[in-house]
Amino acid sequence: MTRFFSLIGRGLLQHRAMMYLLVGFALFPLYTGFADLPFWNDVAIRIMLLGMAAMGLNLVLGYGGMVSFGHAAFFGIGAYCVGISSYYDIFNGWIHIGFSLVTCGLMGVIIGLLSLRTSGIYFIMITLAFAQMLFFGFVSLETFGGDDGMSIDRAEFGLIDLYEPLRLYFLVWAALVIVSLLLMFIVHSRFGVTLRAIKSNESRVEAMGLTPLKFKITAYVISAMICGLAGTLFASWQEYVSPDIMHWTRSGELMIIIILGGLGTLAGPLLGAIAFLLLEEFLPELIQAIAPDYAENWMIVFGPILIAIVMFGRGGLLGLLIKLFQRKGAS
Amino acid sequence: MTFTLFLEQAFNGFQAGITLFLIAAGLTLILGIMDFVFLAHGSQVMIGAYAAASLTALTQNFYLGILFAIPISFFAGYALEYLVIRHLYKRDHMEQVLATFGLILFFNEAIRVGFGPAALHSNLPASLSGFVYILPEIPYPEFRLLVILVGFACAIGIHLLVSRTRLGATVRAGASNAAMTAALGVNITRLRRLVFAIGACFAGVAGMMLGPLTSVEPGMGEPLLILSLVVIIIGGIGSVRGAFIAAIIVGMVDTMGRVMLPVILRSFMEQASADGAGPALASMMVYILMAVVLVFKPTGLFPPNR
Repeated sequence: MTRFFSLIGRGLLQHRAMMYLLVGFALFPLYTGFADLPFWNDVAIRIMLLGMAAMGLNLVLGYGGMVSFGHAAFFGIGAYCVGISSYYDIFNGWIHIGFSLVTCGLMGVIIGLLSLRTSGIYFIMITLAFAQMLFFGFVSLETFGGDDGMSIDRAEFGLIDLYEPLRLYFLVWAALVIVSLLLMFIVHSRFGVTLRAIKSNESRVEAMGLTPLKFKITAYVISAMICGLAGTLFASWQEYVSPDIMHWTRSGELMIIIILGGLGTLAGPLLGAIAFLLLEEFLPELIQAIAPDYAENWMIVFGPILIAIVMFGRGGLLGLLIKLFQRKGAS
Repeated sequence: MTFTLFLEQAFNGFQAGITLFLIAAGLTLILGIMDFVFLAHGSQVMIGAYAAASLTALTQNFYLGILFAIPISFFAGYALEYLVIRHLYKRDHMEQVLATFGLILFFNEAIRVGFGPAALHSNLPASLSGFVYILPEIPYPEFRLLVILVGFACAIGIHLLVSRTRLGATVRAGASNAAMTAALGVNITRLRRLVFAIGACFAGVAGMMLGPLTSVEPGMGEPLLILSLVVIIIGGIGSVRGAFIAAIIVGMVDTMGRVMLPVILRSFMEQASADGAGPALASMMVYILMAVVLVFKPTGLFPPNR
């Protein structure tokens, strides 16, 4: 147990950026309260949840070097766990979360075991194909709304009434803090070090007598469960779930968020989520100001921005910040 | 399930498969030879379909539209490789995924701005909208039969191109060892651009033929892209022969599954639960097939010789 806390403590020191972000999110409602901008609380919730999913994906993508292009599926399964439970009149949020963690864990084991037999381009394509399989599965499940999806009530968390203002905000925040601490612990543990070693040279790790597949599948399952948790909370916030939540473009979005913020860093995905959602919020307005007829077509600018980020944006926003402040170990 | 329906669906499955092959053939070479994750291949299908549909409307002649749309598809692929793709070869897979994902967003939106969000309708000329009797008493749409024939001709063309020409020999050489091929004096840069353009051209042809059968709309390429990725995985990345066989299998399984599965399930399940599970299972069939293939052969059915 002391080891656990010393790891977390060291992690907190090493990840100042992460700590600033978490404190920032805790204080943000104060600002929106004074400035009377309740809409921005919702934006912040979306940022935290997409950031959380991206943090989960980052464990396999950034630390493990496995390019999974199907993590939206786990986000969607998490969301559908709320929908399906509500359909059978189970409204307890703790049960939703438990259900989602177990289902995503199991699906993570199945999909992970099948996909991790391959690597490189095959792995990318296969994870994408599995996500599509689940997507089409939910599209044709008429019981749960099919294509149109189903509207749901926010979950009940005992004494916490999620319909009261800010209750959901701080529930999401608490989940984000727990996930951040967990990832901090994982990244600095022996497991995390081995995972990064596998990324840089798998056969060498194997030669040392370890079984890379075991580490990879564990990381895959953990990341699936984190994505599932984010999806569960997302569905409760949105009060609606449809197959669109696991559309393959969302897998792309999560990857963009990671690249934008900084691959293989703890705070990167959260920073990327802030940048991504602000871009999504302000780009249409910007285009509205320049060419009012084309505000709806903001994607035509967003696509090239994305290509530019890939071509020129090495290290992401976090890398940029570190360069700006030049403070050692601020990742 | 009557024999007529069965035969008709088998033909439809074959037609779907051969169209998929046209898309997958270029993509499997791009993935296999260049080790490049190219997600915007679906956009090439869309560009071909839009070029054909709008030119047909302009010239009032279906054949002229197709005739002009083919070089447009070719040059779209050529230009795309020159402007964007060639800067990405040295990047890792994830960066390629994201950049080509950005291309998809751009193309879909560009088409939406240029042609509006609604689907374009391309009507068939009178000479192609009739029926042919494939067996006595069993009519089949003329155009679908033409699609099968054109697709088959293209498949033979691709096979001859890859296995019998100098270009094909250099492509195969590039597949097994790009650095050595370049050292032997083959211009790899030009080779890559040509493969891209030819791949785009065949994807465009697939789009042109699908246009009158489905709807020509923004984003029409993505479902096809993902299906052709499944085809490529099953066939083995980089193998044109594998892509052909896998495309026919996937086309057949997908089409037949949708028709037959609810019928089969109803024979041993309750009507209500069969009607619920049937479509869900049918739309997942090709992916389940892919998973099964992967369990037994992780590199696909016909991995190219390395």
